[in-house]
Amino acid sequence: MAAQQPLLEFQDVAKTYGQRIIFRHVNAALFSGSITLLAGDNGSGKSTLMRLAAGLTSPDMGRVSRRVPLARTGYMAHATFLYPGLEARENLLFWAKASGIAEPAKKVTEVLEITGLSRSAFEKAGVFSRGMAQRLNLARLLLSDPLLILLDEPATGLDVSSRTMLEEVVCSARKRGAAVLWISHNIKEDSRHADRLLVLNSHTLGEEELPSC
Amino acid sequence: MLTAAIAICKKDLLMVFTHGAGLAQALLLGLLLVFLFSLSLNAGDRLSPQAAAAMFWLASAFCQVLVFNMLYAAEEAEKARLGLLMLPAPVQSVWLGKAAAGMVILAAAQCVFIPAVFVFLGQKMGEFWTLSLAGILIGDLGMAASGSLLGALSVGQSGRESLLSIVLFPLLTPLLLSVVKLASFGLEADPMLENALRWIGLAVAFDSIFLGAGLVLFPFVYNGED
Repeated sequence: MAAQQPLLEFQDVAKTYGQRIIFRHVNAALFSGSITLLAGDNGSGKSTLMRLAAGLTSPDMGRVSRRVPLARTGYMAHATFLYPGLEARENLLFWAKASGIAEPAKKVTEVLEITGLSRSAFEKAGVFSRGMAQRLNLARLLLSDPLLILLDEPATGLDVSSRTMLEEVVCSARKRGAAVLWISHNIKEDSRHADRLLVLNSHTLGEEELPSC
Repeated sequence: MLTAAIAICKKDLLMVFTHGAGLAQALLLGLLLVFLFSLSLNAGDRLSPQAAAAMFWLASAFCQVLVFNMLYAAEEAEKARLGLLMLPAPVQSVWLGKAAAGMVILAAAQCVFIPAVFVFLGQKMGEFWTLSLAGILIGDLGMAASGSLLGALSVGQSGRESLLSIVLFPLLTPLLLSVVKLASFGLEADPMLENALRWIGLAVAFDSIFLGAGLVLFPFVYNGED
């Protein structure tokens, strides 16, 4: 039987900003149906690695191979990608239509329900709390049923119930075969559902044991 | 590409016309310009058609800068730019969507500027008003194509407005020259129409250059790098 192809692969990747080396010799592969935590100190380049994975920036050396179409890649960054002046539903309808999703209105209703935002659908995103905006951001991500999910500190600002919802969403994505890369500063808590832990340290990426519960 | 461009255009128009983002500022600046210039006239005086046409297009050019700054700044508030870059469509769809939205907004603003030019600058409609209308259509297309390209260039710059103005206004000169001339034909009672086709040709050439430049250069100026 042929070995499974990774959905995302970093091959000897290096990234610099001017004279500053962010990381080098980064090698990693993300497979279907897996959750990988990415940890590291502030400024170690976790978000940069995420942007490389999302195809938003190019490596200075090496190769990033994504075997998932852009339409099925979901990226949740620090910023929410939302338009504060538009209602929650309008925001989602825009992203659904721009992404060419079939039956956008139906899909939007569905993801609003999953994220528990149905009752706030007609409120402007600008009046949302950080936690609600993050839920809406998650709803945006779910529109495309992503196969590659890139989460940059997704639990920021989430209360306990929102956090549980996030974990459920991520676990159900794994069940349907998605590969998840999750930047975490709370490894102990987030590792409950994770399969691997990658750590960016001293300009390079290494794998570490997941902490035991 | 068209699906994404239409979605972007609709979203921008929704933000501007339904939620009132930024249009008032552009309208007020243009109207103020026309009104202030009218103060240089004595009661009953009529400004020359060419000067009135120049005021109209100057107001439109200022409006263009504000509109495209606003359209691209909206993508920066929550870094929606990164989401746009991840759409399953060529990045030029952003340029096209913004250009279309900008053109509609500019045309809406001009619907306010035109009566202001007639009222404050004492103008009358001439026989060849269709030439002015053609000039507005061609001019708006060129302003939209160039504004959308150069608006993207100023994204993330601290002096965004000034950068756009500095880059845009010199480049707009050939377009402004021709559309001012075309607009003046529609305001004059007996215009000299011999050169009308040449002015139209110049404006169309400008549009073609910026439509081509937008398609080719946009991916280089609008990307995920901060």
